[in-house]
Formats: sequence, C-alpha cells, structure tokens
Amino acid sequence: MLNGRGQRASATSRVALPVLGALSLLAFWQFLIPLFGVPKYIVPTPWQVMLRIAADPLLLWQNLVPTFIESILGFIIGNLAAILLAIGFVYNKRVEQAYFPVVLFLNTIPVLALAPIIVLIFGIGILPKVIIASIICFFPTLVNMTRGLESVSASEKDLMHVLSASGFEIFWKLRAPRSLPFLFASLRIASTACVVGAIVGEWIGANKGLGAVIIQSTFNYRSDLLYAAIIVSSSLAVAIFLVVTAVERRIINYQ
Amino acid sequence: MPAGLPSGSDGRSSLAARPPAIRAAGVDVAFQGPAGIHKVLAGLDIEVADGELLTIIGPSGCGKSTLLRVIADLLDPAAGAIEVFGQPPAVARRRRDVGFVFQDSTLLPWRTVIENLRLPDEVGRGAQVERRDEQGGASAAELITMMGLAGRENAYPHQLSGGQRQRVAIARALLSRPRILLMDEPFGALDEITRDRLNEELLNIWRSTGMTILFVTHSIMEAAYLGERVLVLASNPGRLRELEDLRAVKAAASGSIRENPAFVERMGHLRAVLRTC
Ligand SMILES: Nc1ncnc2c1ncn2[C@@H]1O[C@H](COP(=O)(O)OP(=O)(O)OP(=O)(O)O)[C@@H](O)[C@H]1O
Ligand SMILES: [Mg+2]
Repeated sequence: MLNGRGQRASATSRVALPVLGALSLLAFWQFLIPLFGVPKYIVPTPWQVMLRIAADPLLLWQNLVPTFIESILGFIIGNLAAILLAIGFVYNKRVEQAYFPVVLFLNTIPVLALAPIIVLIFGIGILPKVIIASIICFFPTLVNMTRGLESVSASEKDLMHVLSASGFEIFWKLRAPRSLPFLFASLRIASTACVVGAIVGEWIGANKGLGAVIIQSTFNYRSDLLYAAIIVSSSLAVAIFLVVTAVERRIINYQ
Repeated sequence: MPAGLPSGSDGRSSLAARPPAIRAAGVDVAFQGPAGIHKVLAGLDIEVADGELLTIIGPSGCGKSTLLRVIADLLDPAAGAIEVFGQPPAVARRRRDVGFVFQDSTLLPWRTVIENLRLPDEVGRGAQVERRDEQGGASAAELITMMGLAGRENAYPHQLSGGQRQRVAIARALLSRPRILLMDEPFGALDEITRDRLNEELLNIWRSTGMTILFVTHSIMEAAYLGERVLVLASNPGRLRELEDLRAVKAAASGSIRENPAFVERMGHLRAVLRTC
C-alpha cells in the first residue's frame, strides 16, 4: 500500500474508536446512572444484565428460537414476494403504471400501526408475526427492486438488441445483475426490520418469543430480564444483518 | 498487423465489383416531439461500398447516431428503404453482420474484461439465422492480445482507463466477426494521444479484416484522417450536405498524411462546409 501509514492508522481507529465509544457509554451507564438515583428496577446496570443473561440462558434461548423463525420466514416471504412482483411490474408496464404509485403510497403507512389489525384477523399463532415481518420487508424491496431492474441504460439495451439477445437473456445478463446492488440495499434494511416486525407481533398476542418476554418482564418490573431480552433481540438483528452483508460482499465483488 | 482476424481477400482495388454493404434510399426518420412530428433524417440517400471506411461528421443533433441506429436495426425509418448486404437491417442483425461500438464503452461493470468480451457468445443464439461460417475468426484470447489488453483479462471495467475500456468494447464488437462495424464517437471522451493511437489501431484492423466501418466523430481531423470518404450531414432535418472523397489525396500523399498540403486543404474545405450546416 502506498499510503501505508495513513491506512494503518485509520484501520486501527476504525475498530478502536467505536469500541472505546461503546465502553465509555457502558461505564457511564454502570457508574453514573445509579449515582443519579435511578432505581435498579427501572434501569439495571450493564453488570446486572450480564448476570441475568448468564443466569437464564435457557429461558432466553427458548424465546429467541420462535422470534428467529418468525423473522427469517418474514424476511424470506416478504422479499421473495417483492422480487417476484417487481419482475412482474417490469414486464407489464401498464400494471406497473397502475399500481406502482399505490405501492409508493402504501409504503408510507407505518406497518407497525397495522399490527393489531393483523393479530385480530390471524389470531395469536406464528402466522400474524410472519405476516407483519413480511410486510415490513416487502415494500422497501419492491420499490428498490423495481428501480433496480429498470436501471439499465439506453446503450445497454441497444447493445443487447444488436446482439439479438432474447428477453430471457436480457433479464439474466443485464437486468438481474443491474438490480443486485439495489436489492441488497433493501435487504440490509429488511434484515433488521424483520426482527422488529416479529417482536411487535409478539407484543400484541403471544406467550413466547422475545417480544413476549419484553412485555411480561416490563409488567413485572423485571428490568434486568427486559434488558437482557432487548440485547438478545438486537444481537439477532445484527446477526441477520451480518449474514446479508457477507452474502452481498461475495456477490457484488466488482466495485 | 493484428493477427487472427479473417483477412481481406484482396486489396482495396476491386471494391466497385462487390455489391454495396449499405444502401439507403430516401430514408426519413421522425420522432414525436412536443411541437408535433420532428423530422430527424429527411430523404437520405447513401451507398457504402463493401470494405469502405466512411466517416460521418455534422453538427450536434443532425442525426448521425440516428443513421447508425437505423442501420443497426435499433430504429425503424418512417419512410425509405435501407439494405445491409441486400437484406433488411433486422436480418443483418440476426446474422451478426453488424457490430456497434458506443461512445460510453457500455461494458457491464460486474463482468471482467474477458467476461465482457464473451458476452456476444452467450446471447442471441436463438435468434441467429444462417450465420456466415468464415474461418479464422479471432478468439476472445486473441482479441485480448491484439487490442493490447494482455494481463488485464480479469480486471473489472472500473479498473481500466477510458482508452482500455474502448479497446475492450471494440474487441467485443469484433468477436462476432461483423462485416460492418458502426462506431458512434467511440473515442470522443479520450485524450488526443490515446485517440491518435486508437485511430492507428483501428486502421490496422480495418486493413487486415476488410471490414466496412462507419465512424461518427466530431473531430474534422479524425474524420479526414480515418475516412476514405467523409459524409457531412446538415441538420434540421438531417440530410446529406457533402460526400468528400479523400482516396485520391491519400493515395498521392507520401510521408505523414496529416501534414500533406492537399490533405490540409481538404480539411479546410470540410471545416468551411461544416460551418454552413
Ligand atoms: N428517441 C428519441 N426521441 C425523440 N427525439 C430523438 C430521439 N433520439 C434522437 N432524437 C432527436 O433526433 C435528433 C438527432 O439525434 P442524434 O442523436 O441522431 O444526433 P447526433 O447527430 O448523433 O448528435 P450528437 O453529435 O450530439 O451525438 C436530435 O434532435 C434528437 O433530439
Ligand atoms: Mg450522437
């Protein structure tokens, strides 16, 4: 590397500085919050949360599994439906003209506000959670994927036509690869949003899952368990996010 | 001399005997504009001999790209007839008779150099009709060497210079062994040194393949230096203003053509004509 020193310095600080930042906040939380007189049953210290996770790993694990399943199913179903519909849009211009503006409008509805209605309709099983998680993933991916598939330039289309490429070939050799960066941008959003959707579904009607733990421990003033469940939830979201970005880096390796 | 391409069977002498590569008669092209129908080409007649290198020049918007697009079957003329080797453009396209090089190289960014080169081999098989089975077509690997891209096979387009990208685009067009190469300001975005070098390489390719080339440019020097004939288009609507034949001047010139007095005089003439377009 030509600019070796500068790059090494920035690589160190890229890792070290956020770690320091996080540690400073944890220290602030651990030592200063109690000094302000905030009671432990409202805000536990990080250490207490750690102890709770260590004491109840089985409880947290048993509730992580359903949330994980709902999130992943929602992620797969919502994104798959969005991708297929986007392909339909691109090949049916009239349908797209009729429905794409509607989609843009629906996209502005806060899906979480619909969660109670969905639970009301579909009961308290796994289904309403999967549906909420799917809907959260669906709209951003539909919008991005439609734009991505259409982001081919005029000269790229000309090139394919001069080569007498079929519609099938134009899709696989041009539109699909063009759309991938757009798709992954929305998959990254969906990777964390699907967990939010599953948990909100569990808030409203469930007796298992991290969302149920969050609600129950809140009502019971078990704030150490509440915080432990929150940390496990965000770990789940981060894990899905990291998988998506790892796949993205493998597939989009040309930039 | 570039190796591996089919060589022209003879020199440039017997051109007149062969049927023309392109024949356009009364070609009109019109677009629906905001103020009604907008005629872009009007009554264009032109005949390009097989193996000719014709350069096309004219003010911006006069229809140079449109003319190439009609020949490549990217656009249908509103009126008139156009034939490519005696066939409609759609047939010529499906026979892979026509190659196109765009101003922006139009390389697919997710494909490496060699993968971009191979694109013509991966698509269009279903549509092709009676493909000419000439022997001696250059393979992708040979074209890489010929275009000075050896060692860059696995580079992605964004890792190449503008000149290298255009070389890849030319190599890709040559892979299907077209009989006609349409080039729309292919070197317009390049610096002058790179442009001169690519002009030289293009002339070598042309001489060794016997291909017909239509080359659009905004540079009078480039048009005159490359072209056997220079087609000057006037605008609004696009029509033939002048067809300048430089073959005699070039044949008579010895030494550097760019400094030849007769050649410089013809360039001055072209410049004067362009001012009135
Ligand atoms: N798809 C289109 N729809 C409407 N008008 C068009 C279309 N394509 C080209 N035109 C018009 O046709 C005219 C000629 O365009 P063309 O691209 O052939 O010009 P050109 O000679 O290649 O110009 P330049 O030197 O700037 O590339 C322009 O006035 C342009 O606005
Ligand atoms: Mg043009």
